[in-house]
Amino acid sequence: MLKKIKSFEALQDIARQVAQDHQKYRLRLMVCGSNDCHLTGSNEIIDEFQKQIQQRNLEDQVQVVATGCIGSCSMGPVMTVWPEDIFYMKLQPADVGEVMDSHVEGGHPVERLMYHDPNTGQAIAHSADIPFFARQHAIVLGNKGLIDPESLRDYIWQNGYQALHKCLTALSPEEIIAEVKAAGLRGRGGGGFPSGLKWEFCANTKGDVKYVLCNADEGDPGAFMDRRIMEDDPHAILEGMVIGAKAINASQGYIYCRAEYPLALERLYAALDQARSMGLLGKNIMGTGFDFDIEIYKGAGAFVCGEETALMTSIEGKRGTPRPRPPFPAISGLWGKPSILNNVETWATVPRILFDGGDAYAKIGTESSKGTKVFAVTGNINNIGLVEVPMGTSIGEIIFDIGGGVSGGKQFKAAQLGGPSGGCVPAAYLNLPTDYEAIVKAGAIMGSGGLIVMDEDTCMVDMARYFMDFCQDESCGKCTPCRVGTKRMLQIVENICKGEGRPEDLDLLESLSHTINDASLCGLGQTAPNPVLSTLKYFMDEYRAHIEDKKCPAGVCADLFTSPCQNACPVEMDIPAYIALVRAGRLADAYKVLKRTNPFPGVCGRVCGHPCQSKCRRSQLDEALAIKNLKRFITDYVPPLRPEPIPVVHPEKIAVIGAGPAGMTAALEMKKRGYAVTVYEALFEAGGMLRWGIPEYRLPREILARELQEILDTGVVLKTNVKIGEDISFDDLKSDHDAVYIGIGAQKSSPLGLSNESAAGVIGAVEFLRDYTMGKDVWVGKRVAVVGGGNSAIDAARTALRLGAESVTILYRRERKDMPALEAEVKAAKEEGAVIDFLVAPLEILVSDGSIKGLKLQRMRLGDFDSSGRRRPRAIEGQIVRMEIDMLIPAIGQQAELDFLSPATQIDDNTKDTVAIDAGGNTILVNKDYSTDHAGVWAGGDIVTGPAMVIDAIAAGQKAAVSMDRALREAKGEQPWKETEDKIEIPVEVDEEVETLLQIRIRELSTAERSRNFSEVELGYDEDMALREARRCIRCDVKTEA
Amino acid sequence: MKPIPVGQQAAADELTHEQWEKIDAVIAAYRGKPGALIPVLEEAQGISGYLPEIVQRRVAGGLGIPLSQVYGVVTFYSFFTMKPRGRHQVRVCLGTACHVRGGHLLEKKISQGLRIQPGEVDKDRLFSLEIVRCVGACGLAPVVVVDDDTHKQVKAARVEEILDGYRNREEERYA
Repeated sequence: MLKKIKSFEALQDIARQVAQDHQKYRLRLMVCGSNDCHLTGSNEIIDEFQKQIQQRNLEDQVQVVATGCIGSCSMGPVMTVWPEDIFYMKLQPADVGEVMDSHVEGGHPVERLMYHDPNTGQAIAHSADIPFFARQHAIVLGNKGLIDPESLRDYIWQNGYQALHKCLTALSPEEIIAEVKAAGLRGRGGGGFPSGLKWEFCANTKGDVKYVLCNADEGDPGAFMDRRIMEDDPHAILEGMVIGAKAINASQGYIYCRAEYPLALERLYAALDQARSMGLLGKNIMGTGFDFDIEIYKGAGAFVCGEETALMTSIEGKRGTPRPRPPFPAISGLWGKPSILNNVETWATVPRILFDGGDAYAKIGTESSKGTKVFAVTGNINNIGLVEVPMGTSIGEIIFDIGGGVSGGKQFKAAQLGGPSGGCVPAAYLNLPTDYEAIVKAGAIMGSGGLIVMDEDTCMVDMARYFMDFCQDESCGKCTPCRVGTKRMLQIVENICKGEGRPEDLDLLESLSHTINDASLCGLGQTAPNPVLSTLKYFMDEYRAHIEDKKCPAGVCADLFTSPCQNACPVEMDIPAYIALVRAGRLADAYKVLKRTNPFPGVCGRVCGHPCQSKCRRSQLDEALAIKNLKRFITDYVPPLRPEPIPVVHPEKIAVIGAGPAGMTAALEMKKRGYAVTVYEALFEAGGMLRWGIPEYRLPREILARELQEILDTGVVLKTNVKIGEDISFDDLKSDHDAVYIGIGAQKSSPLGLSNESAAGVIGAVEFLRDYTMGKDVWVGKRVAVVGGGNSAIDAARTALRLGAESVTILYRRERKDMPALEAEVKAAKEEGAVIDFLVAPLEILVSDGSIKGLKLQRMRLGDFDSSGRRRPRAIEGQIVRMEIDMLIPAIGQQAELDFLSPATQIDDNTKDTVAIDAGGNTILVNKDYSTDHAGVWAGGDIVTGPAMVIDAIAAGQKAAVSMDRALREAKGEQPWKETEDKIEIPVEVDEEVETLLQIRIRELSTAERSRNFSEVELGYDEDMALREARRCIRCDVKTEA
Repeated sequence: MKPIPVGQQAAADELTHEQWEKIDAVIAAYRGKPGALIPVLEEAQGISGYLPEIVQRRVAGGLGIPLSQVYGVVTFYSFFTMKPRGRHQVRVCLGTACHVRGGHLLEKKISQGLRIQPGEVDKDRLFSLEIVRCVGACGLAPVVVVDDDTHKQVKAARVEEILDGYRNREEERYA
């Protein structure tokens, strides 16, 4: 029979004994034994340690303890070695021997198993130094990793039940309530109602029988903090409830826990037994004469039972539907008696508040939201897990600093806060503080603290559908607006996802939302429309894409595309088809498929930014297909086509300004439609940026020349050395043609905006690359600095190295992960000797005798988040360094030359003769169909979007051609053009067994072979490599019948 | 005991005499307690595997409450089922974390493989498929829970492998 605890000293005695027990051991190996770590094999780790400790006769010195969850769930299995605080992650049973040899017996911690900083690659030994832990503030999770969750003695060792003793012996109910009110504690389950106030109402209600209830029906998908507290620190909940009981003078409590949490239930039952046997629960608690006991009630799975009145109805044995309030439960709750209900996290916080005092707790957090909050951070994020932070911490800090950022190198799109009836906030809201009021203002709710990170591959319309599906499924049916309304909303959103949405659906969704919100009884109904409202607010363009273009930009809504790669391609190349043809050895047919949608497959096979690959389904298995390389392979192996000239069948004449990818594509498309097309190019050769901006080692001239020739062969007329605005005026060109397409690109480097930029030795990246390519005598310095982080910066750096620069440093003001340049390009630049200096910005250009001599550089740090979701670079005061250079290449952006649009054309107010230009003077403003407000003038490519991918320019040319043709034909009352194409039969051949296999790597010149020459670096696939790569395609475009 | 109405004989036959006895014992233990219905149904389902009408009648009669109330509660809570379940319960988690990490693809794949929809049992009564909303293992998303085993970070291409594990176990049992 255990001795009952009847005094403060008895608690302290136990704490002392436990401390002594622990001190007996030289090392304590605290292995996380919680759910996630358990499932990744922590049991075997523990067994193996125990076995080896025995074999080595170290039982007296080393102890293994299975602890509760420490929150770093995606690093599991994890272990902390006390008292040294050495943290190991992703342990395997095979690692145990090494830890025993090197660390336990040798005193040398194993660096390999430690956490490594993803930026620097440095190992971090102590858990206190790892950002994931260091930036947290553990109060309610204060015992994590320290105690054995099944040990009441361990709980007492960490000051457990001392607060209760104080409440039962030294404080009056009023004083307890005063402390909770002073702490500013608000309900952690969602509503955020001040807990002290709720208790006070109940305490002031007359009645012999009152109830204390714990809501452990944690139903929000993506929230698991309550589960962890129940599993890992159950006594904190019990202690909190007894304190609450004392405050309102209740003698019976209930914990309503969902049946889906078997371990939580098991640990709660065990904790109740332990507490009763030690006199901490039941009759005469701690010998003070206070009686209180707790019963556990298993929920049967209904989300609505998380609502307080529904929960009470459920305990009463009925369908768990909510009741109207008032009367509030504090007046009339369970069985009609005054009751207080708080959730697990709230109850577990109560002992901490009473132990440290309400004022101490209130010092943490914001004005209206005090203390700390536990967030379950999940979704597309590196460090999935539980984090506890002071209220007011920005969601960006939680996601990027603690959570380690978005997983898989993808872009952040949205964070979903507050469970299914919360809201999604976009990148522009990363500075949002976690404060009840601020979150509501942003269109979400704190809820129970679920924070789900969504990356670029998430479709926000699909997310809205997902949450509506959840809410309509879980609507209890009592209120018609919620029962019927959520169903109708779901139908509408489902239709939009299927491509059957109508423009008026958006207004209908909004008005339905407001009706459901206004007319529902409980929180579920009132907040059910939130996911739709918040996505409508922040992601309207995605709804529009689904409704107007029948496109799902993220590649999720399966009814709107056949394969995600094709869906991601701006020109919708039929990727699965040409890959299947490679596999079948039918390369000529594959080439025809390429040419259907892309006049520049050889170019794109080398320099495309390949958005297709980032959506490849195969990447869910091992790695995306090397689609770009396969495309190049086809063009490498098929001889050029010799297209016949296409006859002119229309009287209208078309002019295209600029022979870059946008202009040449528009020209070809108009030619296909039977128009006479003339392309005017200012320089002596066609190609635009492909010719003058991309260095030859990436794109050999003959590849481009071949594809340009295939366009010219169709009868497109090219006039080089004709500059519009100088050789021919824009107005003359306009009056000579029926339609004009402007595709002139952005041909000037943006200046840095510093003085002395005109000094000798300073040249923009675009000008530098173009001058060299045009065969001008280009001077290259010995010590070169390139400013910028895009592809032009990398091109300039690699070209400077090839032309003899001794050192090239790329200066970038943010971090590696923020660079817009292609990964492979950055890697190649580094291989070739370029150095990248991050977090630095030029402050002053130092000049002597009219030539650049150096730079003054400002060291930067990353501050708060900008609207793109990247951190803003901020100057670190006083950290200015000098750098000696003799050449500076700014590559921070490009500008357009739009002077040729005569003033009369530019500013002809309110007539239909205006080519509108944006305020910065760098882009032409167009309508959705690429027409300008000037009748008969279209535009596209970089001149509209600013510098973008080649494939974007090609798409722009195609879309403009469709629109031009339609306009010309509509004027004559004709039907739009329809393409007739040869039918190419596409084989379906898939491997039976899919084995893990990474991309077949492309052959490349070694760095030595690349030195000082412009030979193409990438050598492409041979036939065998291409076949093997093509076989990796899992043909997700083929839909089989279920 | 009341005679079993015609048409329910088949369902009644599925339960053994021993199971009926256990169910009656549960009812007796809770009789007269306030709020007894849900715990009784939970335990009864634990005994019979599901809650066909015949079991609901027994509970209603035993606790002295209307059958309509029993039926109302059974259909309200997702934990209760009126359909028999397979030998193995396959539960695909479609909590938000699992959904954004591809849980819906798993649902489709399993549904196709077993040729059943969620809520159904396959023709051999080997597997039944269920969708669950968050099992609180978000760190391992997407997860598929088969019986008491949680399979972590499941990829669609590996689904059959997991199910085969259970099929093989069955074959071994009968071999």
